[in-house]
Amino acid sequence: MRDEIRKIQELMEAAEYVTDAPVATSVHLAMRLRKPLLIEGHAGVGKTEIAKVMARMLGTNLIRLQCYEGLDAGTALYEWNYQKQLLHIKLHESSGHSAKEEEREIFSEDLLLRRPLLQAITQEQSPVLLVDEVDRGDEEFEAFMLEVFSDWQVTIPEIGTIKATHPPYVILTSNRTRELSDALRRRCLYLWIDYPTYDKEIRIVERKVPGINHRLAGELARFMESLRQMRLNKVPGVAETLDWALALAGLHADHLDETVVSETIGCVLKDADDIKRFRAEVQKSGLAPFVQVPG
Amino acid sequence: MVRFAALLRRQGLPVTLIHVTDAVRALDHLDIGDREEVYLGLRAVFVGRPEDVPAFDRTFDAFWRTATEADAIGEALAPSLPDEAPATERESSARESLALDAWGEMDGDDGDEPLGVPAASEREAMATQDFATFSADQLDAVYRLTVQIARRLARRISRRRRPSARRGRLDLRRTLRANLTRGDLIDLRFRRRKRRKVRLVLLCDVSGSMDLYSRFLLQFLFALQAVFSRVETFTFSVRLTRVTEYLRGRSYREVLRRLTAVRDWSGGTRIGESLAEFNRQWPGLVDRRTIVIILSDGWDTGDPDVLAAELLRIKRRAGRVIWLNPLLGNPSYEPLTRGMAAALPLLDHFAAAHNLAALRALAGTLHL
Repeated sequence: MRDEIRKIQELMEAAEYVTDAPVATSVHLAMRLRKPLLIEGHAGVGKTEIAKVMARMLGTNLIRLQCYEGLDAGTALYEWNYQKQLLHIKLHESSGHSAKEEEREIFSEDLLLRRPLLQAITQEQSPVLLVDEVDRGDEEFEAFMLEVFSDWQVTIPEIGTIKATHPPYVILTSNRTRELSDALRRRCLYLWIDYPTYDKEIRIVERKVPGINHRLAGELARFMESLRQMRLNKVPGVAETLDWALALAGLHADHLDETVVSETIGCVLKDADDIKRFRAEVQKSGLAPFVQVPG
Repeated sequence: MVRFAALLRRQGLPVTLIHVTDAVRALDHLDIGDREEVYLGLRAVFVGRPEDVPAFDRTFDAFWRTATEADAIGEALAPSLPDEAPATERESSARESLALDAWGEMDGDDGDEPLGVPAASEREAMATQDFATFSADQLDAVYRLTVQIARRLARRISRRRRPSARRGRLDLRRTLRANLTRGDLIDLRFRRRKRRKVRLVLLCDVSGSMDLYSRFLLQFLFALQAVFSRVETFTFSVRLTRVTEYLRGRSYREVLRRLTAVRDWSGGTRIGESLAEFNRQWPGLVDRRTIVIILSDGWDTGDPDVLAAELLRIKRRAGRVIWLNPLLGNPSYEPLTRGMAAALPLLDHFAAAHNLAALRALAGTLHL
């Protein structure tokens, strides 16, 4: 393995992020090739976390653009500070400025509100730009974003063209609620994050919930593994595991038994039907199938 | 690397020149001696969606195992190529490919031929003719009509979205621009909340009992997907398959070829389980602005309770649930199959889909 990749893995671990070779390799290539990294995976497997850790690792700013339906260029790129502009016009009404001067003043950089994308290209040091949940935005916005990504410059009619001197590292995340365009996929490196393996999940729990005993962490990981194999409507992610581990730590539980599980299952299962199905399962054959090693 | 990319392309991955140059650049930053690392790196470059991982793995393994004996690569990969299905699979897919072969014939030379639209009277006759009774030479004409209908449907929906000029929130950006030289805000500009677009989710039954109809309906789905920007299409019989990607081709023939990869044609039906699969795998697709259209005859070998429960889950989230049943065109048909009876009370609209006139009548129901 390349030292650089190992270094990334170490740095990520140091930044409290439990990682593995696929993640480290993708991050390494994204930084080297200067290409956006598209991360897909189920909710709660730590996609967003990668961007945060990357920023911490590089000692740079994290700029986050949360996507939602109806997000448009104005909200993502820049907007004028209208209140100030109006005030400005009122104040200088009688000052006898010419229309030209007036225009220059109200469209000066002081009155420009920088939204995430503009912020990302006007930094002193390459920041990490996190475009969270791209699948929630609409296709038009996707196309607009690709345009910005292609040459890292933005034209504001009143000011001129701003070109990034330090283009950002880009991380995009998606929950696959909508299929992203091929154009976007082509421009990105791709990383799929699955639910963690048994060992990885233990490591995550132990890292994030210090002081938890090894046996409980193991039981939790096994439990989550079996839960995820049930046909659930809302499959719990790592975030749920951690919530649960914290709750159990708070209750000073040191192993899983039926009472504890029944009291705290709301940390992991968040759908009425799922809970019903789970309780039926437990009533039928107890907790054993969930915590025992299969086979 | 170019050869590797060509192999990937043969396995159906959408590999472009950008990928190849990226891959070459990526190798500069990877330890070539470390197979695992090269694998992970190239995977990040070439694979764009999780479904493509198995094909990539196969190709990567074959390529690197036999990197010195170039000829062996083709052999190693041959079993997984769609045109040479292995003997074990061949039997099970015989029925499927039969169904699909028949489709291929009806496709004709799309695009190249002159657009001879049938005469009006002929067209009218076609519109009311049951799909099940069409002969092979009429199919091209039917296809063109299908496209026309789909276009009309799309227009109807988009017309509802036009913003009015004098209502809504003040658009400060445009107002200020327009009044710069006036010293005061006289000419107000407005902006209306852009209405979120309607999304269609299509679930098409392709089981044996639907065989006569599904080829037409799929054509219709293809046409719909070509004119609507937000459509997700699935087929189901005993299993659910997402075919949005497959339907995204330019010509229907190309699309048919890709659909060959989809299994389960003309098998039995388990509607409830298929809907359950849909709810589990794609929960985010359905929201208040979504119209869910199920195309099925309701012949279900699964549990009607499951069907009702899963349909209810969809209904709770969707803006509208429409069930199109080709059998409804038959005056003597009554929706008495257990599955259909269970589903009926949950539907916003239940209509026929046995001929072109029925598809055209859809226009009135495709809104929220």
